[in-house]
Amino acid sequence: MNLERLPNEEKLSLCRKYYLGGFAFLPFLWLVNVVWFFKEAFVKPDYTEQMQIKTYVKRSALGLLLWVTVLTTWITIFQRFRAEWGEVGDYLSFTIPLGIP
Amino acid sequence: MANNTEDIENNMDEQETNVASELTQQPQEAAVTRARSRGGSGGGGGGDGGGGGGNGTGPEQNGQPPAARPPPRVEENEEDEDEELTLKYGAKHVIMLFVPVTLCMVVVVATIKSVSFYTQNDGQRLIYTPFPEDTDTVGQRALNSILNATIMITVIIVMTLVLVLLYKYRCYKVIQGWLFLSSLLLLFFFSFIYLKEVFKTYNLAMDYFTLAIIIWNFGVVGMMCIHWKGPLRLQQAYLIMISALMALVFIKYLPEWTAWLILAVISVYDLLAVLCPKGPLRILVETAQERNEPIFPALIYSSTMVWLVNMADTEWPPKRNSTEAAPPQPEAPEAVGSPGPTTLSQDDGGFNSSWVNQQQHQLGPLQSTDQTRREIQELPDARPPVEEDDEERGVKLGLGDFIFYSMLVGKASATASGDWNTTLACFVAILIGLCLTLLLLAIFKKALPALPISIFFGLVFYFATDNLVQPFMDRLALHQFYI
Repeated sequence: MNLERLPNEEKLSLCRKYYLGGFAFLPFLWLVNVVWFFKEAFVKPDYTEQMQIKTYVKRSALGLLLWVTVLTTWITIFQRFRAEWGEVGDYLSFTIPLGIP
Repeated sequence: MANNTEDIENNMDEQETNVASELTQQPQEAAVTRARSRGGSGGGGGGDGGGGGGNGTGPEQNGQPPAARPPPRVEENEEDEDEELTLKYGAKHVIMLFVPVTLCMVVVVATIKSVSFYTQNDGQRLIYTPFPEDTDTVGQRALNSILNATIMITVIIVMTLVLVLLYKYRCYKVIQGWLFLSSLLLLFFFSFIYLKEVFKTYNLAMDYFTLAIIIWNFGVVGMMCIHWKGPLRLQQAYLIMISALMALVFIKYLPEWTAWLILAVISVYDLLAVLCPKGPLRILVETAQERNEPIFPALIYSSTMVWLVNMADTEWPPKRNSTEAAPPQPEAPEAVGSPGPTTLSQDDGGFNSSWVNQQQHQLGPLQSTDQTRREIQELPDARPPVEEDDEERGVKLGLGDFIFYSMLVGKASATASGDWNTTLACFVAILIGLCLTLLLLAIFKKALPALPISIFFGLVFYFATDNLVQPFMDRLALHQFYI
């Protein structure tokens, strides 16, 4: 799918759908949105829909940042304290490493 | 499995040749003509975008009567240009296919080497290969593997026929649903298993929450990219990943001799199914061409973008695939430029190669039925009005081809005594086979199976390297004799 070929309304609609979709626990979708529409939103010369696309890209980037923070915090806590949590730690774990923690 | 390489000739061909014949005389007019035949698609110039329209090469098209030039000179020019066209297309498209095929193989080999899960024999087998291979006698083993291969190929033939019938009787919903379910299974379930094994191998802890987020994101974005709209590169990446996953599953669950036999038999089947007049895949291709509609674009790896403006059947939603390998170059500068091979060569008329491939897979031991069927079909030309024509075609390769190529190389890296030597030899063999197939495509310009040549070379190289070259090199190393 080449963005060049799409008319502006469709670009906007696509950006919007990706933005809305990201609310379903899909930070990856927001990342794709940001990367894909970055040029459209910030580099290209102005056109009518560009303002809206810009807002969507900015909000997606914001949401992505939020998710990254949350995930990083959680992963850090988990990896650091997993062994100390005993049973709860094992219950939460999908794979448990072998050997001495 | 049947793989097709197809080069659809269409009206474009004629336009192309007209362009070719007029080019030397009237650059201006040719520019206009070319612009028209490109339909104004930006990629008309398109470097690697692959132009629309059939490949106007081939000696049979040199007979176009030139208008006002002395015949010998023009014909000679046309011949040169046509020859260059063929060569240019061939080289460019081959390179465009090398990268994804190589990537897929690299992923498979890397996984095989690092994650031992895929080379372990857990005693589990697929439903399709019920006969065990750890038997007492060699004869029994050979018999079992032949039976396994027969069962597998029968299943594949049956599924192919079912698919062709479904297509013929326009049960598009069923096919769509089927493909949707298979890609769903691949993207979620197989990648889940893959991740689990990778974490186990590298001894990492992972909690359910993070894992759920990862798998969910991977799967949903994958489904969107493959079946709906998404960035081209991402779609290609996903297709490569699911091909690699599939190949890994095959490598794990098919016993040794069965696997090699299946590869050989599938190549033969591919050849027959595509080239025989009554072959199911050929029927499929022709039906699709008659109806002028795409078939299962969701499971074709395509290196250019196809934009279907007019859809004859409203029940089949137009799908847009693939990526442009290079941004389309503006037509105007080239068109206005001096006529000659360089100008024409940038007009990537492009020829389409499509490989039709079908595959089915069912996970026996896991009590789940999954039928993955991939059929890659050349997207036939939609002939919309000139002003809206926004079409580029390029090289397309069926996902099944990816899977079987990677399976061959993966098996070679897993079980060969020669290890890296054999792996590299098979890799090179497959790429050479791919080149030859594309060359044949340029010559014959119709649907061609992509498996036979590559798999044949791969098998020959595998057994030769493993049994002849590797012991030879070991001996040389042993005696410190350098050649």
